[in-house]
Amino acid sequence: MNKRTWLIVALVLPLIALVGTAFLKGMQRASGTEVILPIEGFDPRDLLSGHYLTYRVDYGVAPACATPEVHADLCINPTRGIYPEGTRPSDCSLFIRGYCGSDTHFLVEDINRFYIPEEHAAALDTKVRNKQGAIVLSVDTDGNAVLKDLLIDGKPWKTAVETAN
Amino acid sequence: MGMVTRKLDQWQQAGLITPAQHTAIIAFESNHPQRANWWVYSFMILGAAIIGLGVISLIAANWVDIPDSVKLGADFALLALIAGGIYSQYPNQQHGIWFEVLLVSFMLLCLSSIGLISQIFHTGGEWYHALLFWAAITFLLSLFARNLFTRFLWVTLFLHGVLWSIVTTAGVDFNHSLDEFPAVLLLAPLLSALLYYASRQVKPLHGFSGSLFFWFQLSGVIALAFADIVRSGGDMDNYPLAWFIPAYVTAAVLAVSIVLQRDFKLLNKVLLLAALALLLLYYHPDLLFSGESRYNVSFWQADDTRAPLLTLAILFLYAVHAGNIGHQRTFNLVTFLIGLRFVILYFQAMGGLAATGIGLIVSGGLIMGIAWLWYKGRTNLQQWTKGLKA
Repeated sequence: MNKRTWLIVALVLPLIALVGTAFLKGMQRASGTEVILPIEGFDPRDLLSGHYLTYRVDYGVAPACATPEVHADLCINPTRGIYPEGTRPSDCSLFIRGYCGSDTHFLVEDINRFYIPEEHAAALDTKVRNKQGAIVLSVDTDGNAVLKDLLIDGKPWKTAVETAN
Repeated sequence: MGMVTRKLDQWQQAGLITPAQHTAIIAFESNHPQRANWWVYSFMILGAAIIGLGVISLIAANWVDIPDSVKLGADFALLALIAGGIYSQYPNQQHGIWFEVLLVSFMLLCLSSIGLISQIFHTGGEWYHALLFWAAITFLLSLFARNLFTRFLWVTLFLHGVLWSIVTTAGVDFNHSLDEFPAVLLLAPLLSALLYYASRQVKPLHGFSGSLFFWFQLSGVIALAFADIVRSGGDMDNYPLAWFIPAYVTAAVLAVSIVLQRDFKLLNKVLLLAALALLLLYYHPDLLFSGESRYNVSFWQADDTRAPLLTLAILFLYAVHAGNIGHQRTFNLVTFLIGLRFVILYFQAMGGLAATGIGLIVSGGLIMGIAWLWYKGRTNLQQWTKGLKA
């Protein structure tokens, strides 16, 4: 290949990678089953991406993990429960992959941050602290969960903010 | 041209060159104008960087009012437009200034696109993973860069991405505190040095060597200064060995790389390996340091004795290596640091006495003496290091 061809490859590669990433994320968000989980949390700053909420998700299981620091699945249907990886009941039709932290809390990566506009950060932070918040997840058949929306008092956050104004 | 003309005038007056030679040189320089000045490149690239930041700020400020599909569509369309611009500006022999400016713009826009996708889909990844992803997708493009700034930008972001990713993969958690920062400080110079040697071996990567060497030296000085300060204070006694596993693995590969360097004599290899071993010893939790100062244990067992000695030993080994292979600027810098460490050692040893009238006079004299010795002796010292054989 000559240099011009290499340049085309070098320019197209990032485009494919970025478009592909956005496409796959979009597909994952659109095709999964919706699961709503309550949250509570706080609002630090992210200099690169504006404001976002971080929170603790209430997975609705108590007690939490039996063993710390292992991969685990949270079964949602038909019975909610946490199972170490590979021990999930065969009748579990909907589950989320995660892991048990050192404090035996169940955790799922990539669903603990929700980006919000700066002007609404303080108001949403207060509502989430007051346990009025919930997140909407899209869960695929392999147990991968992605964030779809943030609910305040059961309504999408944009609606809740507009109503408050 | 102005400076060249002045120098030529001086040389002609001193009889070093003839008027004919003077005229010939002026004619030659006039017919071979320099490429665009570095400051034009710098300002153009700075402008591109500010535009990139502006795009990020616009997205960050207004992202909720714009539909996701519009945001992503506009972003990818802009990327494609700049890509077309880069292609159209690509000449066969010499890259123009617009090529470099568009290249930097494209690379920065790729980074802001990762941030945009992260916002839209609420991904919770870490910033260093984003940098690593960015570096991977722009690597081929960075090979086309001819301007130092462009390559330096890529190397800097890549190094940070790979460095922090490796350390956190080893189980170090920076979410709650920066206690584990020494793991990064030790790995940084080792990784930079390893990549520097790798870049020298592979022809297409030669353009990255300068930037990697810069980061190696800077991170090396910071790592040494940090260890010296913390060890001298007797603080670094509760660091788990596990934090340093990535650094030890990198050090092993680096040691092999040093041994395999064809342009190094045996002396250079021994000097570098010795400096590497001492640096690892410096960061080892408890092999050489116990957290005790001179007030509690004997002089040679105290951390505040061993730390400066180790610093000086590492700097001396590296200075001899740099002098021996003819790296004059590095040699000057390292020998200057040795002098500086001696001055600090004096203040450490004297404590409050250095602040008295006599103490200040002696201190001033010491600083002047070391500066004079360094200025007068560095050339002879470098000649001596050049003469060393093994």
